[in-house]
Amino acid sequence: MRFSLLAAWLSWAGLAAPALAEPLRFNRDIRPILSENCFHCHGQDASKRKADLRLDTVEGATALLEDGAALVPGKPEESRLLQRLESSDPEEQMPPPTSHRRVSREQIALVRQWIAEGAAYEKHWAFVPPQRAALPTAAPWDREPWDAWVRQGLARENLRPTAEAAPSAWLRRAAFDLTGLAPSLAELDAFVAAVGARGESAYREETDRLLASPRHGERMAAEWLDVARYADTHGFNNDSMRSMWRWRDWVIEAFNQNLPYDQFIAKQLAGDLLPEATLDDRLATGYGRNHVINSEGGIIDEEYRVEYVADRVRTLGMSWLGLTMECSRCHDHKYDPVTAVDYYRLYAFFNQVPEWGEDGRVGNAAPLMAAPTEVQQEALQVLEGRIEEARRGLPKGEVEGRPLGEVLAWLQAGVPEVAEPSGAVLRVERRGEQWVNAHKLEPSLGGQVRVAEDAALGPVMAFPSEGWQLEPGHFGAASQQPWTWQAAVRWEGGTGVLFSNMEYGVVESSSSHGQGLEVRLTAAGGVEVRVAQKWPAYAIQLESAERIRPGLWQQIAVVNGGKDQAAGWRVYIDGRESEVVVRHDGLTGGVGAKGLRMGSASGAKPDAFCGELADVRAWPRALGAEEIGDLADGVYVRLLRGPEGMAAALGQLERLQAVVRRHQPRTAAAERALRGLEAERLEMKRGFPSVMVMEELAEVRPTHVLRRGRYDAPGEVVTPGVPEELLGAWPTGAPKNRLGLARWLTQPEHPLTARVVVNRFWQQVFGTGLVKTSEDFGFQSEYPRHPELLDWLARDFVEGGWNVKALMRSIVLSATYRQDSRVSADLVARDPENRWLGRGPRLRLAAEMIRDHALAVSGLLRERLGGPSVFPDQPEDLYKGVVVDAAYPGTKWVVSEGDARYRRSLYTFWKRTVPHPVMNVLDVPDRESGCVRRSRTNTPLQALALMNEPALLRAAGHLGQRMQAEGGAGDAARLAWGFRLAAGRAPGEREAAVLEKLLGELRRSYAGDAEGAAAMLRSGDVAAGAAGAGEAAAWIALASNLLNLDETITKN
Amino acid sequence: MDCHRYQTWGSRRDFLGRTGLGLGAAALSGLLGGGAARAAGGLPGVPHFAPKAKRVIYLFQSGGPPHLELFDPKPLLSERFDEELPTSVRGNQRITGMVSAQGKLALQPSKYAFRQCGQSGQWLSDLLPHTQKIADQLCVVRSMNTEAINHDPAITLLQTGSQQPGRPSLGAWLDYGLGSANENLPSYMVMCSVPSKGAPDQGLLSRLWGSGFLPSRHQGVPLRGGNDPVLYLSDAPGISRERRRLLLNGLGELNSLQLEASGDPEIETRIAQYEMAFRMQASVPDLTDLSKEPEETWELYGEAARQPGSFARHCLLARRMAERGVGFIQLYHRGWDVHGDLTGRLPVLCGDVDQAAAALVTDLQRRGLLDETLVIFGGEFGRTCYAQGGANREKYGRDHHGRCFSLWMAGGGVKPGLSYGATDDFGFNIVQDPVDVHDLHATLLHQLGIDHEQLTFRFQGRQFRLTDVHGKVIPALLA
Repeated sequence: MRFSLLAAWLSWAGLAAPALAEPLRFNRDIRPILSENCFHCHGQDASKRKADLRLDTVEGATALLEDGAALVPGKPEESRLLQRLESSDPEEQMPPPTSHRRVSREQIALVRQWIAEGAAYEKHWAFVPPQRAALPTAAPWDREPWDAWVRQGLARENLRPTAEAAPSAWLRRAAFDLTGLAPSLAELDAFVAAVGARGESAYREETDRLLASPRHGERMAAEWLDVARYADTHGFNNDSMRSMWRWRDWVIEAFNQNLPYDQFIAKQLAGDLLPEATLDDRLATGYGRNHVINSEGGIIDEEYRVEYVADRVRTLGMSWLGLTMECSRCHDHKYDPVTAVDYYRLYAFFNQVPEWGEDGRVGNAAPLMAAPTEVQQEALQVLEGRIEEARRGLPKGEVEGRPLGEVLAWLQAGVPEVAEPSGAVLRVERRGEQWVNAHKLEPSLGGQVRVAEDAALGPVMAFPSEGWQLEPGHFGAASQQPWTWQAAVRWEGGTGVLFSNMEYGVVESSSSHGQGLEVRLTAAGGVEVRVAQKWPAYAIQLESAERIRPGLWQQIAVVNGGKDQAAGWRVYIDGRESEVVVRHDGLTGGVGAKGLRMGSASGAKPDAFCGELADVRAWPRALGAEEIGDLADGVYVRLLRGPEGMAAALGQLERLQAVVRRHQPRTAAAERALRGLEAERLEMKRGFPSVMVMEELAEVRPTHVLRRGRYDAPGEVVTPGVPEELLGAWPTGAPKNRLGLARWLTQPEHPLTARVVVNRFWQQVFGTGLVKTSEDFGFQSEYPRHPELLDWLARDFVEGGWNVKALMRSIVLSATYRQDSRVSADLVARDPENRWLGRGPRLRLAAEMIRDHALAVSGLLRERLGGPSVFPDQPEDLYKGVVVDAAYPGTKWVVSEGDARYRRSLYTFWKRTVPHPVMNVLDVPDRESGCVRRSRTNTPLQALALMNEPALLRAAGHLGQRMQAEGGAGDAARLAWGFRLAAGRAPGEREAAVLEKLLGELRRSYAGDAEGAAAMLRSGDVAAGAAGAGEAAAWIALASNLLNLDETITKN
Repeated sequence: MDCHRYQTWGSRRDFLGRTGLGLGAAALSGLLGGGAARAAGGLPGVPHFAPKAKRVIYLFQSGGPPHLELFDPKPLLSERFDEELPTSVRGNQRITGMVSAQGKLALQPSKYAFRQCGQSGQWLSDLLPHTQKIADQLCVVRSMNTEAINHDPAITLLQTGSQQPGRPSLGAWLDYGLGSANENLPSYMVMCSVPSKGAPDQGLLSRLWGSGFLPSRHQGVPLRGGNDPVLYLSDAPGISRERRRLLLNGLGELNSLQLEASGDPEIETRIAQYEMAFRMQASVPDLTDLSKEPEETWELYGEAARQPGSFARHCLLARRMAERGVGFIQLYHRGWDVHGDLTGRLPVLCGDVDQAAAALVTDLQRRGLLDETLVIFGGEFGRTCYAQGGANREKYGRDHHGRCFSLWMAGGGVKPGLSYGATDDFGFNIVQDPVDVHDLHATLLHQLGIDHEQLTFRFQGRQFRLTDVHGKVIPALLA
């Protein structure tokens, strides 16, 4: 032991007398009483204020009212407040009996003393920037400077610290806290030896090793996922699947890389707005999109969009501000100095997302982006390299370097006219005075389209025109059938519809608004495809990355694979497939064939195309790249041969070269190889995972104060902003958007952010924060048990560069943390929740760690960082009778094969409305909204799950086998080995005896019961082995007991 | 999920106050034996006053049962068949996206007749012949109303007092306040059923029986079909009852040695919870074992009760739970979201629930349990008086309607034979004695001896309650 317990005890004994003489402090002693009992009617909410009396400010409390002043400093007897508190007359008494609030005699005595002492108000402690107070004189017990605060607190309470835990106990505790998994036996042995050899430095090295482990990021992320309400489904009663795991992996990586926490905040809040935002920066903003999203048919869109924005404000308030901002949504905050206007100014930052209330029925809700993993990004880079190489290595053709005229002449001869690909159903031609479909000459076409004469192509359709209506019998563009549409397009700029049958005429709130399909040009010249059951919520929307240019004849081909997914669509420009950006991939079902209009949409939003169309054709099948290439080249060669051929050539020189290469026998193979690689790249990109992200609307959406929080009761307009007077000025030069908000939150003098964050990390380790109400630092919060310690840690954190690993290192190396968790009855009675920290933490492990630990000790755990969520064992009929009766993704649980069945629990698919039942009984939150404090219960349903859940029984099976195979010779050694694996220490003598006795009883029990033994082997998923089924069964049962030990599922 | 009410100790501190530390194996064996009088758990001072009812059976009809076909006859709709809903009646009512595209809100009469039943002369639909026979037991509320017009928020409001997720469910509040009357069974149990024919439609959400911000032990325990009526209840094949006892003895001894060494009273609780689990392994199968039910039970509840997972079966199980002191028994029957095909589906749904619900009331009454058991039958909202799609005498559907809907209650000290509240001649607006969801909750708590303003839980700096800042007890509903 490093210090003399006796000496320490004596030094405390000197302080044994309770510190009665200490003057009262408003923040610690009085504010909680007034806030709880008075501020509701006599606080800042003017609309509910009674008797015109305000007690939350000294001015208000001392103001002279009709019957005197509530507060007369120094004169308790004259203070109406005290009279009313002490009164027993129901008319007079405060708080009124109807409020069901009660102020105790002790509390009234405190108020009396406080008034007598001068009734000094203090600014609420949490709204004053944290200050570093001078440390108490150091003592040998301290290991971190701040341990002194804990030591002082204990002394004041006349308590003393518990002796240091054994090295192995510390390691198990620290390993769970920093990595979420227990140390292996080899690691335990090595550490104990290292402590013997190197002493203190062994602790530091071990801590660094744990912090460097990739498991660290997984452990820290698991906590953050609760706060940031991560899930794999959208919630609400459809509760279909979403894809946010790339964001989850970003979090893991951020902790593993020790991303400074101010950046952790900034990237999640506003990564998209950072200058030169990277893929990872944008990905991080998934934080703002983890909220539930409703896809119930018939909901009012704005009602839910408003909920999503409100959820972002609530989550921000909880995550980093430590304020219950949501209380100000309907009215000024009842307790804290936050008004409804403050609320909606904060809301305005998050009100700029191009999103819809109803969305997410079959996949991610817009806005979203493709987010390749690092591995995928590397593979893409390799492929890009090969493409570049192929491009550089393209052979020079016979015509290369020759005059253009010769090239054109060669093309005349070298490129044969190709026949139309088979099966066409549409080819628009001018016959006489009419436009007709050459493949179906029935007069079923309507509308007026002007004719223009093109020198090379003959009569072409000229727009803007009324548009050309085509009956479905010709070509109806059903979404679930494959088809191809192509045309030569000469575009004059602006957005414009190439063809459409979307029903924009139906009212927007209807479930069939915008139903149909459309291909259009964006203002930038991109080719956009829209397919919708209900526009824009249930739709596919994608846009080509390649653009066409105004004034040139170019070919556009759109191929529908008939799969009703964005990945089934192909867009070709000039015969080459273009990459597409998927804006939305949420089509819920097929859209049937309907009459199309060419050159304009019908009804309310015609959005007519400006330019010319020629060679309009369609096929009821998906044409391949070769066929489309031929079609494109065919038109191009016709243009080249025409009177403006030279212009067509000069306008698209690269295209010209490619066409030449494609048609020269000597170079065709190389050109085809290049195009093959390009197609491979597109295929790769289509496989990239999607993630929902934050984006800003192009045009600012005005934000109103919503009266009573209702979406349909807009009040005054507000601008984005923060409660500067309360929490600090807006940083100079910071933009008034989410990025500025992040800068404001993380400015070094911000009174709340660092305190809230540090407190939560403390809670993660000790079970309870220094401020117990870790979600609320407002007036209703608990006054911190060690205010100086909280401030010290907060200042250290900020000044050290928001360094999370440094904070965690400091905590686990502290004397406070290293105490043994053993506790006397006296200490339990005096400090049941260990708020004075006179012992080490002893807490039941979180759900994830209980399962991970069982899988780890049995050898079943398969570790792999990140990736899509997995589906471990879950009762087959769990969803029966509960989930929505529709085949939406996420409504079926198919148990993963292979390793995925035994991944860390962090990766278990999280279905909001029906969480995994084992996790559920072990207190995980439902993640429908953020949660910063899990409850920690102790129930029989937990016992049943740990005894009987099939995967845990399999873990018992494998642990039983391991004990026999690896535990050494003889029962005693094997039992001790297994016990140590589970509990982190060797069994004591009496424990060993219990284990041996139990093993003997189990052996006897299974010896005569071949059937029971065989059944046990099946449950444990292991084979009998040489010693026979009865023996193996006894070990499985015993191993199951080890996994159920209190100590096994406890961080000790 | 709860347990504290059938465990000996409300908390570690209580335990310490009573037993001290350092229990050895010998003392432990006494502990394991159980048998000592056990506290019911719950909050001190609750109930606040003498309760009328000891428990609630909530027969939730999920999807929005049509009040105009079942409980609230409106002859005027027949006279004005296919006419447009007058704007004066519609007022500023929000119309869902399902029908906002519809050109016309055409009035749609009920295809089904009503008749006056029993001494009380209550009007009940011919779709509910068995319910008609217990008319004199029923307190029909025709003036229920809700702000919500979509399933998720509406059902969440009915079950948790808020449209937004995150609040504790009704049963969780009661579990938190009242604790349990049976140390061997969860006091809050949930059973879900689907229509015998046709699609169940809208999904349920476990938050409906969740604990919200209350500790998770207060959440409802779903009772399932099959061999594992409570999830993970059954021991693995190969672990007989005797072996489980052996294992628990060993586990208890090891845990008590750890308790001795570490002094953490949480271990004591854990030991007790494993013992509770052991007892549940016997008490739950006893609850679900229907082999000793006499023939007349099946006659009363109907043959459907022989079908595991059916609503009728669940009604029978609800009665058995009531007998065993389960405090909050929550049933859900899905499929009432009859937008398009009301006429096709309503007969099936009524067939599923009518006889069984009436049987439950009758059965409770003849066993002397009805007075102390509050039975509630109803959904999350009603349905529109205009047709979704076109009006049609024979074949039609109706959209969601929150402005008024009906439910019935029986037993538990509510006034029998009463029709309470009234809607206008269109069945669109309430014209008399509105009862909103918070009022229903306040009244329900009142019957259980709880002042809804006093059952609170501190969360995020304020005292939350089931009724938030709303709700009033409706004395006229009470006997």
